[in-house]
Amino acid sequence: MSKAPPSRRAIEFRNASIGATVAVLRETRPDRLADELHKMLGGRPDFFSGEAAILDFSDLTDAPERIDWAGLLSLFRRFQLQPIGVSRLPEEYAAAARQAGLAMLDGAIGTAPAAAPRPAPRAEPAPRPAPEPAPRPAPSAAATTMFVDRPVRSGQQVYARGGDLVLLAGMSNGAEVIADGSIHCYGPLRGRALAGAQGNERARIMATNFGPEIVSIAGIYRTFEQGIPAAIAGRPALVRLTAGDKGNTLTIEPLQLD
Amino acid sequence: MTRVVVVTSGKGGVGKTTTSAAFASGLALRGFKTAVIDFDVGLRNLDLIMGCERRVVYDLVNVINGEAKLNQALIKDKHCENLFILPASQTRDKDALTEEGVEQVLKELEHMGFDYIVCDSPAGIERGAVLALTFADEAIVTTNPEVSSVRDSDRILGILQSKSRRAAEGQEPIKEHLLVTRYSPKRVEDGEMLSYKDVQELLRVPLIGVIPESESVLQASNQGTPAIHLKGSDVAEAYTDVVARFLGEERPLRFVDYVKPGLMKRLFGGK
Repeated sequence: MSKAPPSRRAIEFRNASIGATVAVLRETRPDRLADELHKMLGGRPDFFSGEAAILDFSDLTDAPERIDWAGLLSLFRRFQLQPIGVSRLPEEYAAAARQAGLAMLDGAIGTAPAAAPRPAPRAEPAPRPAPEPAPRPAPSAAATTMFVDRPVRSGQQVYARGGDLVLLAGMSNGAEVIADGSIHCYGPLRGRALAGAQGNERARIMATNFGPEIVSIAGIYRTFEQGIPAAIAGRPALVRLTAGDKGNTLTIEPLQLD
Repeated sequence: MTRVVVVTSGKGGVGKTTTSAAFASGLALRGFKTAVIDFDVGLRNLDLIMGCERRVVYDLVNVINGEAKLNQALIKDKHCENLFILPASQTRDKDALTEEGVEQVLKELEHMGFDYIVCDSPAGIERGAVLALTFADEAIVTTNPEVSSVRDSDRILGILQSKSRRAAEGQEPIKEHLLVTRYSPKRVEDGEMLSYKDVQELLRVPLIGVIPESESVLQASNQGTPAIHLKGSDVAEAYTDVVARFLGEERPLRFVDYVKPGLMKRLFGGK
């Protein structure tokens, strides 16, 4: 992944992939959360060591009049989590959240990093009124194909926003690749591969050496607890959705390459 | 030009410190002025393996905090003329290390005319390990032939790609070398252990050597002698090969095939 030499401008915008922890909140009262965190982390308040966090409100059970953002932020900072944004936040709380300096990250499907190449600085994605983000129409793939020249290693995450992802050196167990379009993998496909992340059911996953932990297309996924079928393990394979009586099913089939 | 080499692994107990000591000694035996730095602040071990624990007065943290001069903290090795050890502090923790401080120490070593600086990384992926690899030009990723070690090495390779200074500045990436340690050809033959080919296939990094599992490593550690000095042992030979390959020489892989013990050895050989 070669980068351009540093420019002489005083400020420069680059794409970054950040790893962030998603904190799914079912409560918003800082005191209740503090008790829970204390129980979970016990004597290890440094468990998170300053990681970035996205607060996810999709599972919220109570509907308070207002959310104590200042209290929430200082609570998480006390546990060394740095909230950077919110996701699936009901509209009525959004203004206050923005005022507290949090970004609206609904477009970024939870943990997916902002990775699409954009020349200009980007405004914050507009907040969505609905808590469930509706699948967007798939943008044209060729415009935003993302190429990764080096192996994607365990713990790394790559997100090809709005297009296809081409892995030219494969990926390892424990890595995660996500694409709004299809995933093409030359080399071993070993970690988690999620295509059609915004709901594109026509997305596919192609690999020359098939051996993932999980594959998913448009949210329909398959794990391989019993091992990968011998016909495709370590061999070229294609994953796609096929329409059936009971809706779409995920099919994996060998791919003839020569 | 000083080259900074980090010896790293992610997982603990795979042989990073043993490798750092042997590799740095090997470079010094080849005539290069070499420094080896222990980044494992709080759990220092390198001084024990190098047999200089009684001579530690100042350490890396003292130098970073300006409490001692670098040449006061550097300990001259007892085996090699041009090898110096910079020990870690046992009484601090890894937060005592700062990026600026480490950079300053490395710069100063460069001014002192060192050819190679070997950074012995602590286990894990936290501050100490990241600082050990931040300024590296090359990395020796030490891996045992078992899945958890391979997984952790893979993680460290990812961190080399993302957190090193070379990556941050968009320079040529760190040159990666795979070193498989504690290798037992017999257990590979019996199917109990991954083969070095499996490990390389999983990690996709050029192999710089395979170090056989050997009791002499433990013996050497206890005596405070880097394993490369154990004349005639397979471990010393294997490390010598690693240093040669690192310097660009071609050496065939040794000690990777299982040789069945002969009848006499089976009857009388003991071990």
